[in-house]
Amino acid sequence: MTSKSPSDFLKNIIGKPVIVKLTSSIEYKGILACLDAYMNISLEQAEEWIEGQFKNKYADIFIRGNNVFYVTPQKKRNLQDL
Amino acid sequence: MNLEVKEPIDLVRLSLGEKIYIKMRGDRELRGTLHAFDQHLNIVLSNVEEVLTVIEIDEETNEEIMKTTRRNFEMLYIRGDGIIAIAPPKRF
Amino acid sequence: MLFYQLFKSLIGQTITIELKNDIMITGKLISVDQFLNLKLSDVQGTDPKKNPILSSLKTCFIRGNVIRYVLLPQDQIDTQLLKESAIKEAAKIKEEERKMQNRK
Repeated sequence: MTSKSPSDFLKNIIGKPVIVKLTSSIEYKGILACLDAYMNISLEQAEEWIEGQFKNKYADIFIRGNNVFYVTPQKKRNLQDL
Repeated sequence: MNLEVKEPIDLVRLSLGEKIYIKMRGDRELRGTLHAFDQHLNIVLSNVEEVLTVIEIDEETNEEIMKTTRRNFEMLYIRGDGIIAIAPPKRF
Repeated sequence: MLFYQLFKSLIGQTITIELKNDIMITGKLISVDQFLNLKLSDVQGTDPKKNPILSSLKTCFIRGNVIRYVLLPQDQIDTQLLKESAIKEAAKIKEEERKMQNRK
C-alpha cells in the first residue's frame, strides 16, 4: 500500500481495528472512530492492556494525543488460527 | 446539537452534563459530571470521586499489594495536561 | 478563553489548589492570566502532610502548568452557564480547525 503522506495513512485506517500504544506501558486495541491533528484519538470497543495484561474494556474512549506513541493497524486473525 | 464532521473532541462535547470517567497520570482515576472543557482538555467536573492507586511491595513476602485511596470533591477544575483518556463511566 | 473567564469570575474567592507535586495551597485568588497562571494572597498550607516548606508565604504566583487540580466553591459556579460556554467554545474550536484546514 503506497501512501503519499502520514495523513493518507491515517485516512486509510479510520474505521479499522488498530493498536494505540501510549508512551507509558498502556495499549488500547479497538476500532479507530476518528483522530485529529493533535493525535487525539477516539476508539470504539476498545480493550485496555497494561504491561501486557488485559485490564478493561470501553465502548467508547477518547485518548489525549500527547500520550500517543504510535497507532498501527491490527492484523486480522484468521478464523482458522483460533 | 451539531452532529457535523466527526472529531475525537466531539465525543467529549457530547458528554457534557453526563457522568464521565477520566484516567489521569499518576495512577489516578476520576468519576464525575462534566460541565466544561476546552481544546487543551482542561475540565470542570462536579460530584467527583478520585481513586488513587498505589502498589506496595510487602518487605517479607515481596508480594505486590494494590491499595486505593479515595477522595471526593464537590466541584473540581482539572488541568488538561494530566489527562490520559476520557470515557463514559465503566459498566461493571 | 473559557477557563480564563471562569477564573476571572472567581477573583476574590478563597480556593484550594493541588499542585502536581502534591502540595496543597489555600488562598484568595487575586489574579489570573491567559496561561491560567494564578496569584493568591493570604496563603496557607491545607494539609500538614502536604504543607509547603515556606509557611511564611503570604502571597504567591503559581505557574499554571504545575497545577493538577483547583477545588472550586460549588455555590459560586453556574453549571448551566458553564455548559453553554463549553458548547460555544467547542464551536469556536471547530471554526479554527476549519480555517487551518482551508489554509493548507
